[in-house]
Amino acid sequence: MKRFLKMYTSVLALTLAAASLPAAAFADWLDDAAKPLKGTEISGIFLDRPGYRAIIKLLPEFEKKTGIKVNYEIVPYENTREKQVLNFTSQGDLTMALVDLVWIGEFAENGWIEPVSDFTKDKTITDPNLKLEGFFPLLLNAFGSWGGKTYGLPFDNYSGLLFYNSCKLKEAGFDKPPATWDELANVYGPKLTDASKNQYAYALQSLRGETQSADSFMRFLWPFGGSLLDKQFKSNLMSKESQAGLKFRQDMMKYMPPGIVSFDHAEAVNALAQGQVAMITEWSAFYGTLADPATSKLGDCLAVAPEPAGPAGRLPALGGFSLAVASQATEEQKKATWLFIQWATSEDIAKSYVDAGGVSGRMSVYQDPAVKAKYKFVEPMVASWQAGVPEFRPRFPAWPAISEVVAEWGSKMMLGEVSIEGGAKEIGSRMEGILAKDGYYDGKKKLLQ
Amino acid sequence: MPETTAPPSRVPNRGYRQWTPFWFLAPAVLTLLLIGIYPTIFALVTSFRRYNIARPREGFPFVGLENYVSVLSDGTFWASLGTTARFYITVLPIQIMLGLVIALLLHKTGMGFLKALARVTLVVPLATTYAVVGLIGRLIFNRDFGVANQFLDMIGIGGFDWLGSPSGAFAAIAIMDIWQWTPFCALIFLAGLSMVPGEIEEAARLETSSKWALLKHVQLPYLLPGLTALLILRSADVLKLFDMVFVMTRGGPGSATDLVSIYIQRVGFRIFDLGTASAQAILLLVLTILISRLYIRILYKEVQ
Repeated sequence: MKRFLKMYTSVLALTLAAASLPAAAFADWLDDAAKPLKGTEISGIFLDRPGYRAIIKLLPEFEKKTGIKVNYEIVPYENTREKQVLNFTSQGDLTMALVDLVWIGEFAENGWIEPVSDFTKDKTITDPNLKLEGFFPLLLNAFGSWGGKTYGLPFDNYSGLLFYNSCKLKEAGFDKPPATWDELANVYGPKLTDASKNQYAYALQSLRGETQSADSFMRFLWPFGGSLLDKQFKSNLMSKESQAGLKFRQDMMKYMPPGIVSFDHAEAVNALAQGQVAMITEWSAFYGTLADPATSKLGDCLAVAPEPAGPAGRLPALGGFSLAVASQATEEQKKATWLFIQWATSEDIAKSYVDAGGVSGRMSVYQDPAVKAKYKFVEPMVASWQAGVPEFRPRFPAWPAISEVVAEWGSKMMLGEVSIEGGAKEIGSRMEGILAKDGYYDGKKKLLQ
Repeated sequence: MPETTAPPSRVPNRGYRQWTPFWFLAPAVLTLLLIGIYPTIFALVTSFRRYNIARPREGFPFVGLENYVSVLSDGTFWASLGTTARFYITVLPIQIMLGLVIALLLHKTGMGFLKALARVTLVVPLATTYAVVGLIGRLIFNRDFGVANQFLDMIGIGGFDWLGSPSGAFAAIAIMDIWQWTPFCALIFLAGLSMVPGEIEEAARLETSSKWALLKHVQLPYLLPGLTALLILRSADVLKLFDMVFVMTRGGPGSATDLVSIYIQRVGFRIFDLGTASAQAILLLVLTILISRLYIRILYKEVQ
């Protein structure tokens, strides 16, 4: 009996030690790497979104462990690029860049951010468990890489999802969400729309700005086989497929609430949360708002599915942010920032990050059955990240200028102020003008997007 | 007649020197140079350069009048200027008329306490930040729970899609601007009315019972300097109106509320083409100066 007890205790101790090994090893490694950097201050920009609130919650743990002070400023999304560009061009105080996937080309080409290979070659500041292959390849490629180099690690990750009110669908006789856009428009749309009762099947956030260009306009190109640009970087908006997608969006408007061109994310999410519409396609990050009884009436009626497929397959909206080390930082700050980025995007804190409201880009955390069971959005989101288009929105430096053109003419199309063909032609010619000015047609610039 | 010099009534201050006024004026002049003149000169110089800070590798070469030519041949710039003009022509007459009516009511004798209260209340919209006015506007004109539609429902007119339709959005930003700036007009006119000498006004009241005649022949001359200042200030204001419109509509839907300041901000801080944005801003400055000179020439007369 004594021998059995001894053996049992030893096995238990070994099991416990093995289980805590990665965390302990991570802590040991981080402790050692941070020792010479104690007292260093790093700074970056955060958004007022769940992923940032989650990391802020976990921040004291990092600061206590490393002695590195993380300063952050919370800025509205619309001002984030402006603030960072001004800071980088005036050699400001930011040591970390928050890179939206559409800014990666601009930030990398201007040398404002450092490739991660500059840091990974220094073993003393690199997590032995960094495992870049542990990120969803689509996210690492789309959010953090440019021209074959990796600059940022995926931090705040989104996929477009179909959020729907399962109770409304059931009442209308549907026991599952639409699998295709065609089904949504032709089968679900008519049954779920009753304008006299202010009830609509679907809301598509289409406010002028990035919401119109990214969330509304681009969403209906790729699943229909269209795209913004062809291989020579000329406009592809007049192609049969792109026109079909844009026409489909226009036809769908009869199932959307009036004034949809004034709907931003908040209005679309609220329309579903308050029962005005039955379905929306929104970023995964809005799950928290829709699940919270304080902001949503949905309760158990909230359900999530991948975005419907189009004739070209399921190609949902892709968006998100990576964190990268800013080139303007001092050597010490660069190292400290690199430590923070590795920690914030590590597998070790992925579960705590998700529990605090963030959406990790690490694959391993979503294999946890407890995570799958607790968060309804996980399975459809992971399914969406298996395949996708990294250039869902072109990631080259010309995008902000093109986005403005798309935002203006895209909403004019929706309002019927211009025809689909007329609007597409106008966007195409203006876009080609911008690209010509940037040197894409005379061989000065590589055709990267 | 022999010249006599009067003895100085006060002993001159020994600390007062030739340079004393300079030192008193210097801080104000320096501040003005720093915050007013330097940025204007910087913008002027930038307007002659290709100056895109998001493309630092391309440098900032001198391009002569290229930016001005590009602005003057840019259809979107002219369209946004046209929208601004339409906005100006819509809001200003209403603000002037309402402001004058309020000022005349407050100029009446009696009800001292209520008038004092009204004067204080008039300052509230003026003291509200533009962005907050925009936020309030988004709530007031919300299609489903906004006060504007509730009011329309009450009087039997159905709800209206304010921010989702081009004409509705334009009307919404105009209403918010009228709400914010009518009190300013009222206060300016009230100041003008208080300058009318009491005896002249009283004599005029004995001469005529027509309020219109009193306003036209007695009060109006005292209101003209204020009206000129008001027109100049409001012209400059409308040309640079940004925050409220950006918060309410971001220039949309379509380009219905795309005022020229919204367009310049987009060129300057989304595309970061500061050369073109500076050229646009300089052209607006010239336009403001021309309009101001015009107002002064036509309207401004010193009251004799």
